Amino acid sequence: MNARRRAILSSAAVAVLACGALHCSKTDREASAASRIRTGGAPAPGGELVFGFDGAAITEFNLDPEKSAFAPHHRVMRSIVDSLVVALPGHQFGPWLAKSWEVSPDGRAYTFHLRDDVAFHDGTKFDAEAVKFNIDRVNDPKNALYALSDIGPCSGVTVVDPYTVRINFSAPYSAFLANLAKSSLGIVSPTAVRKYGDDFPHHPVGTGPFRFRSLEPAVEIALERNPDYKWPPAGATHAGAAWLERLTFKNVPEEATRVAVLLNGQANAIDLVPPQNLVQFRSSPEYALVEGELLNHNYSLYLNVKRPPWDDERVRAAFRDSLDLDAAVKTVYLGTLERAWSPLSPSIFGYDKTLEHSWHADRERAGRSLEEIGWKKGPDGIRVKDGKSLTVVFVDTQGNREKRLDLMTVLRKQLRDTGFDLKLDSQPSSAYLGKVGAGEYDLVAGSLFAPDPDVLRRIYSHKLKTAFGVSKVEDSVLEALLDAGSEESDPGTRAAIYAKVQHIVVEKVYAIPTYVLKYNVATSQSVRNVAIDVNGFPVFYDTWIAQ
Amino acid sequence: MTRRILERLAASVAVVFGASTLIFLILNWLPGDTAALIAGEGATEETLVRIRAQLGLNQPLGHQYWEYMTGLLHGDLGRSYATRAPVLQELAAQFPSTASLAVAAASVAIVVGVPLGVAAAANRGRVLDHIIQVVGLALNSIPTFWLGLLAILLFSVHLRWLPILGGRGVLASVLPAGCLGLAMSIPVQRLVRSGILEALQEPYITTLRAKGLRATRIFGVHVLRNVAISTITLVGVLVGELFSGLVVVETLFARPGLGRLAVYAVGNKDIPLVQGAILVTSVTYVVVNLLVDLSYAWIDPRVRLASNGDA
Repeated sequence: MNARRRAILSSAAVAVLACGALHCSKTDREASAASRIRTGGAPAPGGELVFGFDGAAITEFNLDPEKSAFAPHHRVMRSIVDSLVVALPGHQFGPWLAKSWEVSPDGRAYTFHLRDDVAFHDGTKFDAEAVKFNIDRVNDPKNALYALSDIGPCSGVTVVDPYTVRINFSAPYSAFLANLAKSSLGIVSPTAVRKYGDDFPHHPVGTGPFRFRSLEPAVEIALERNPDYKWPPAGATHAGAAWLERLTFKNVPEEATRVAVLLNGQANAIDLVPPQNLVQFRSSPEYALVEGELLNHNYSLYLNVKRPPWDDERVRAAFRDSLDLDAAVKTVYLGTLERAWSPLSPSIFGYDKTLEHSWHADRERAGRSLEEIGWKKGPDGIRVKDGKSLTVVFVDTQGNREKRLDLMTVLRKQLRDTGFDLKLDSQPSSAYLGKVGAGEYDLVAGSLFAPDPDVLRRIYSHKLKTAFGVSKVEDSVLEALLDAGSEESDPGTRAAIYAKVQHIVVEKVYAIPTYVLKYNVATSQSVRNVAIDVNGFPVFYDTWIAQ
Repeated sequence: MTRRILERLAASVAVVFGASTLIFLILNWLPGDTAALIAGEGATEETLVRIRAQLGLNQPLGHQYWEYMTGLLHGDLGRSYATRAPVLQELAAQFPSTASLAVAAASVAIVVGVPLGVAAAANRGRVLDHIIQVVGLALNSIPTFWLGLLAILLFSVHLRWLPILGGRGVLASVLPAGCLGLAMSIPVQRLVRSGILEALQEPYITTLRAKGLRATRIFGVHVLRNVAISTITLVGVLVGELFSGLVVVETLFARPGLGRLAVYAVGNKDIPLVQGAILVTSVTYVVVNLLVDLSYAWIDPRVRLASNGDA
């Protein structure tokens, strides 16, 4: 098992500690991190968890798991919908709504044997038809659902018998189980989708441990216990209904306000605690902190290789040599986050550990190299060649989420030292997409939460690219590797393929990964057993409140 | 008087119509493709074409404008591009929070600003006047965001007197309304102070004094009535601004509101939603201005008599 896995608190890891048994594959570091969650005392049903979460300053809650691309909304939906399989630590998968499954030898058909005792919150029976309805719904491009990219080359669904369903693919698709475990392929009620139509995102109906009660746009989503629940995923610490009577998500977009509502007792849990408060919550006996790596394509700077000066690989290399990410990440996140070495976050399957410490800031080399190519320093310190200054424009639409603009500001200062002039251009999302589509940028940046290295194909494949793709790379070697990785079923071979991909992205400076995000939840001490699943999303099924 | 109101209303309709048209044109002129925003970054051209057709975006601009305006005349504000929900419903969900905050903040501004202005004028050049001016300057220089954070720390975390969350609840509105109201009270206080000092220089005050009227009566009736007109005008403008929503305060206090709705809609080029938000704002401005106008007639005998004359 990968020794760099730190603090991955899956529900399964929690289970290990609570029961003190099973799963001997855990590393010590995982165990010590998980032990910080308070598990003492006997769980008692009842009570309300008020969870102040960062839902950003937007007014719509889109609670259609197959439609929403927004991680905060998936943090809510994880409690409402269940998946066919659950992701377990060590890149394993366990049963959930599916009791077992087989993959055909050619990798083109997945057959799932479903539980026969599951019902949706609206009373609809969960069966093979319901699964077929969900996958068909996602697979229909007319519906333009976000989860479409999770099912890859899916060619259709066959109902074998009422509780057996086969999902077919036109080509082998090795990322499927990992994607299937995400909430974006959580199973929703066919009856409810037909009934609510366009309004389904405001009336989500799944089979999860909590059912939707009401929402107030921009402010609050209220869930209540599903009393009939008895189908928790592998790794849960109890069977039967959730302990919590009510689970209320309050959207508190401002980080200082989130901390304040936990401190004044209006919320008993909050997420995304800012770095400056993490230490406080870690050490205080009145609060508990749970942290887990978000399986993620790390927040990366994408260089527009189609446009000068980035069409010259040497300039791209000099750009990267100018960045001291160790210092920048430490300064901005106060040592609470690690810098990234690879596009993938360390716990994703296929993460290449050999990239660690393989590239560093080297301003001298950057300066030398730029001089050689003919970029000479002008009077203001910015380099000039053929009358053009070395100005690069970073187009952004997300604002300072995760302190990203703070990070860019630090990098801007570093770049100035070697003669780059970095301009930050913040745009509303419509204008941003317009610029990305037209290729009118030098740099854009983004992250993409994903459980499988196939995410690299979504970003770097020229074949699959849409006009709004962040990377403009066209590289046939990379393309072939990404196709091979998607189809390869042997884990060893597959990992080797993705190691090559990660090396190419870093060595050719197609993108510069920056930091590894950890998701965190701070709770008051009476809240027990909040878990963060393997994918990095909060799980409240086993959560209870000590009296 | 009735005629005056009718004239005002006619002019108001023109203002609202002009604002809607202008916003429609500006939003369409802004860069960006609404369909791409809805479909997400992975969408194919085929999907985009379908979404454009669904939303009517493939129609010529003139046609879209005609559709919007005829809908508006039938009381139909259309549907949000992003959520497909009726715009009226989206606005109705956000409006009460914005309205109650605006009214509460304006009340605080008046209750705090007017007495302080009077006190400062009455003590002109003395210590109290200086204190009021300096504190006012300091408050005016602190952004509401910062003031709000400090208030949260003191009243919600440290003393635990007031909640932060609670949406439209009265207690949860105290801090945001207090912060906004305090910030708004500064211009009110200054206007009242300078208005009083100016009015005291007017010849009619000398006449009243010569007539032998008591100072308190001169001040309470004649001076204050004079100052009231400009103060009400100012408060009207401030309330109009409040009704357009305050994205910073809404975000800080985790409240719903038109500000967040409008900012999000502009970013997403959700034109019907932006139109709706602008419509609410412009109608509010018009109504507030009308009320301000009517109050002139009530306060100022000259306006009242003039309008009686032509009625």
